[in-house]
Amino acid sequence: MSRFYIGRNIAIGAAVVLSFSLARAADDLPKADNILDKYVEATGGKAAYQKHHNEVSKGSLSIASVGLKGDLTSYRAEPDKSLTEIDLGGMGKSTEGSDGKIFWSKSSMMGPHVKEGAEKTQAELSSKFNAELNWRDLFKDVKTVGTDTVEGKDCYKVQLTPADGGPITQCYDKESGLMVKMTMTAQTPMGEQTVDSFATDYRKEGEILMPHKIKQVLAGQEILITIDSVTFNADIPADKFAVPDDIKALVDKK
Amino acid sequence: MRFFIGAILAGTLCGLAPAQPTLSPAQRQLNIDSFEQIWTTVRDKHWDPKLNGVDWQAIHDELRPKIDKAVTMDEARDILSDMLHRLKQTHFGIVPAEAYKEIDQKDDTGKSSPEDGDPGIDLRLVDGHALVTFVAPGSPAAAKGVKLGWEILRIDGKELAPGMAKVRAALGSALLAELIETRAVVERMEGPIDKTVDVEFLDGNNRTVNLKLTRTGLRGAETVVGTLPPLRFWVEAHKVQPDIGYVQFNMFFEPDAVNSAVQKIMSECRDCKGFIIDLRGNPGGLGAMAMGLAGWFTNQSGLVLGTMYLRTTSIKFAVFPRPEPFRGPLAVLVDGCSASTAEIFAGGMQDLKRARIFGTHTAGAALPSLITKLPNGDGFQYAIANYISEGGKPLEGIGVTPDQEVKLTRHQLLEGQDPVLDAAVSWIHGQ
Repeated sequence: MSRFYIGRNIAIGAAVVLSFSLARAADDLPKADNILDKYVEATGGKAAYQKHHNEVSKGSLSIASVGLKGDLTSYRAEPDKSLTEIDLGGMGKSTEGSDGKIFWSKSSMMGPHVKEGAEKTQAELSSKFNAELNWRDLFKDVKTVGTDTVEGKDCYKVQLTPADGGPITQCYDKESGLMVKMTMTAQTPMGEQTVDSFATDYRKEGEILMPHKIKQVLAGQEILITIDSVTFNADIPADKFAVPDDIKALVDKK
Repeated sequence: MRFFIGAILAGTLCGLAPAQPTLSPAQRQLNIDSFEQIWTTVRDKHWDPKLNGVDWQAIHDELRPKIDKAVTMDEARDILSDMLHRLKQTHFGIVPAEAYKEIDQKDDTGKSSPEDGDPGIDLRLVDGHALVTFVAPGSPAAAKGVKLGWEILRIDGKELAPGMAKVRAALGSALLAELIETRAVVERMEGPIDKTVDVEFLDGNNRTVNLKLTRTGLRGAETVVGTLPPLRFWVEAHKVQPDIGYVQFNMFFEPDAVNSAVQKIMSECRDCKGFIIDLRGNPGGLGAMAMGLAGWFTNQSGLVLGTMYLRTTSIKFAVFPRPEPFRGPLAVLVDGCSASTAEIFAGGMQDLKRARIFGTHTAGAALPSLITKLPNGDGFQYAIANYISEGGKPLEGIGVTPDQEVKLTRHQLLEGQDPVLDAAVSWIHGQ
């Protein structure tokens, strides 16, 4: 679940798009390719993204309905390394990561877990660094499927279908070009879960414009992620993305 | 927990409330607003959009004129409770302050005070009698010579029997009765630290013993989880025999502490013949911890303890095996005060045939629920999900039936025995 807390934006894996699809959008809708490329431009441009090889985001996560709040730190690096740490007070810690080969999670409540199958496929997608730039490599099909209004903003709905796995739907503000909502079906050991993510409070970090508040609606609960700081090209220790011993032990047993 | 228990009683105890004076027009309007809030909440948030097959609109149309005319709080609460009873499900109810106080000696907020303490006694209801089942070493109760098996007759001069009979009459044979009655007595025992509580016991020779016991800090460390009131948590892990590991914790919170305790005893017990998880008196807590605990006792991936059904989705309680789980015989101890997550763990492990369950029937209180304040000031409890154990049966209202039923007796307690633990040890040695 914590994979959906991550983010440069809503969930990096899906925040991007791509497709070699030649499918034409409806006549009155812009092509998805253009919407996705416009997003890159609206948030800083290709050159700005390419300057970054890793990033560290720090912030908080809260679930107001049950009064929970905790710290969140996300490390991401080229090409597909990631580590997200969440400490939710009395509920303990949960961590999720990837060294590019092994995708895993562990939590105080549930223990260690190695992702496989559809869950691993989805984790691979969301671990891609600078996915915004590479959506054409990550999705086999993208198409504009309609319009919507999200929290007062008119937006274009773009459906992105990865080579493996279910589609992701994103909505891009008609005026600003910024993504305001993403809907996806998360693959988890607890079953498939529909997640709606709403991105707001876009502000610049360096040359990149990114959302600093992400509201996720999952199983009837609202989770608010607030990003306080983002550091690009940080001095991340070499072993930061190393697979934990208990995860290694599980992998060795398989 | 007090909040939880008070909520469970909900409409059931409405009859305990004293007669109310005639309401003012403003108070009547608050009851009408409460009626609409309850009806709308159930319509919009019940996990089953079909609302268990009832015609919810028809119920609204039938009862709304009645709430419009209700001139006392008793009448209003009866109507609100009637509406919820039509669902024929637990965890839906009204929490009138008067009924709540019948079983809760705390303040109206339902929040514990960090300064609360007790004399160092735990107890269980056995055949309607409150018996001492634990005396904390070094506690005021221990210093005054309180023994296992002593019966508690009065607390601060108030006889327990009539109050318990009143609650029992309201609850009938409901599984929850043992949990609620036990908590009611425990809470009478609790109060400000360093204040004394007068307790009248019936000792092992059937003589009454009156003791003035000082309250000390409740067992365990304070833990705060979200909006829940501050709780006291403790965990212990040791060997009950040279070849049997044992873990007990009072509620499913502080997952890091539970993991550390389990990991430590596991490392000392690699060659142990069996393991015992003691969930007697454990009222539950964080549901996900049931999955994490189960992972210590299986190496099989893909297992599920059960499934929780919400309105828009379902959540499987999947088990993640630990790298080096214990695979020998596992016994789980339960009683009528084992509820919620404790039942999810015990029921799921029983269904998976990974554990043998010892003790008495559990509380049958597995549904997650929320409590909100109504415009009229009462509390409104409603369940937000249903839970079906892996064997296909709901736990709610049914609970977990032990594979081997073992009841406590006063005689055995007076002899210093723990027949439930003894039965589990005996089974493990027989494997």
